[in-house]
Amino acid sequence: MMKKAIFLSLIMVFTATAALADTVTVITKENAIREYAKFFAPVKANVRYNDRLEALSMEGDWYKVKCGPSIGYIHRSAVEKRVVAVPASYSRKGSSVSESEAALAGKGFNPQVEATYKKQHPEMKFGLVDSVERYPVPERDIAQFIVAGGLRQP
Amino acid sequence: MTKKCLALLCAPFLLAALASCDTSSFGNISQHIGTAMTVVDQTSKAARPISDEEEYYVGRAVAAKILGSYQLTTNAQLTRYVNLIGRTVALNSDKPYTYGGYHFAILETNEINAFAAPGGTIFITSGMIRTTASEDELAAVLAHEAAHISKRDGIAAIKSARWTEALTVIGTTAARNYTSGEVSQLVSLFEGSIDDVFKTLVVNGYGRSQEYAADESAVQTLAKCGYDPRALLSFLKRLEQRSGSSGGGITATHPATADRIENISGKIPSTAQIHPRAIEARAVRYGAAVR
Repeated sequence: MMKKAIFLSLIMVFTATAALADTVTVITKENAIREYAKFFAPVKANVRYNDRLEALSMEGDWYKVKCGPSIGYIHRSAVEKRVVAVPASYSRKGSSVSESEAALAGKGFNPQVEATYKKQHPEMKFGLVDSVERYPVPERDIAQFIVAGGLRQP
Repeated sequence: MTKKCLALLCAPFLLAALASCDTSSFGNISQHIGTAMTVVDQTSKAARPISDEEEYYVGRAVAAKILGSYQLTTNAQLTRYVNLIGRTVALNSDKPYTYGGYHFAILETNEINAFAAPGGTIFITSGMIRTTASEDELAAVLAHEAAHISKRDGIAAIKSARWTEALTVIGTTAARNYTSGEVSQLVSLFEGSIDDVFKTLVVNGYGRSQEYAADESAVQTLAKCGYDPRALLSFLKRLEQRSGSSGGGITATHPATADRIENISGKIPSTAQIHPRAIEARAVRYGAAVR
């Protein structure tokens, strides 16, 4: 009886600890942790889809996050908040991605589906789409364009 | 039902299971919690929406289909100019970042139209660009399209029955590769989804309320950028004067321009006056790129 009570108490502590661990997950292909909460602020670290970041606080539309040794900011639209943390045993071994998050990553309409679709429809202009996506628009150029046109820095 | 509610519902079962189980190791408890979390997670995902990553792949295919019907412009200066305005607008939109980012391309046609492929690729026709009279008006058109992306209007065109069927194939456990049978089913559903979105974008247009909401969002975005939000109104008025001359295009896929003007007229945010030097700088670069 005593044993069961101890284990039940442990569960409560365990669950509370898990709930407190607030993380955000990157939902863009790639993004950056910025030195301050501005779009053109210097980049402190680069992040990729499904990277998990420790959320420290929120400042306007920006999360202050910890990513490895770096602390900086990432815009709220680049991440998804997941308040329900999961125990270590539930996570995939050797990965920073928990199974609940990985369940969505690459699922459904993914590169495998696109590749098969492309083979069936060679007339579709995916090559042109790639060239549109690869068109370079450096951040520095956008920042200069904004200043030169008397626009507001976002 | 939210994850929290499901977790609360599962809690008694978890505790009951723990009370009856062999408590000799902490690993067992962890296992039970893991199982309960899986149940919570799978139940909550049963009717999940399309993820941003999935939206991106649908959008790529829609863009590929659009580019099968239209030619991309070869005007490098105009492409760069439209991309700079578009990226400025996107950063000030409700969703500055999407999975694959925002991209802007010009379709070489006299047709007056613009399309927002799900995920962030925006097409504007050279006919539409020529209908604008200033950088602020061009920004207004791009802000309207960016609003369709942030509101996920394109992806909403996918028939819900199709997505429900896709979810049964996709399942709930983590897996990046599907069997050939599953891929074949998913590709068929993918193709249907692309057709749903393409028809809405190019043939039927969005619903009236979606267009009004995109206009309302666009004027807010323009104000945030430092553009004149009244530019949308002046553009719509010019479009109304020219309506019918393009033969199809925006008049076929959007509500009557007069209705859009009436809807947005009282909803333009008041902003500080734009400095004459800024107006001049924008006029010079617009003239260099567009005319």
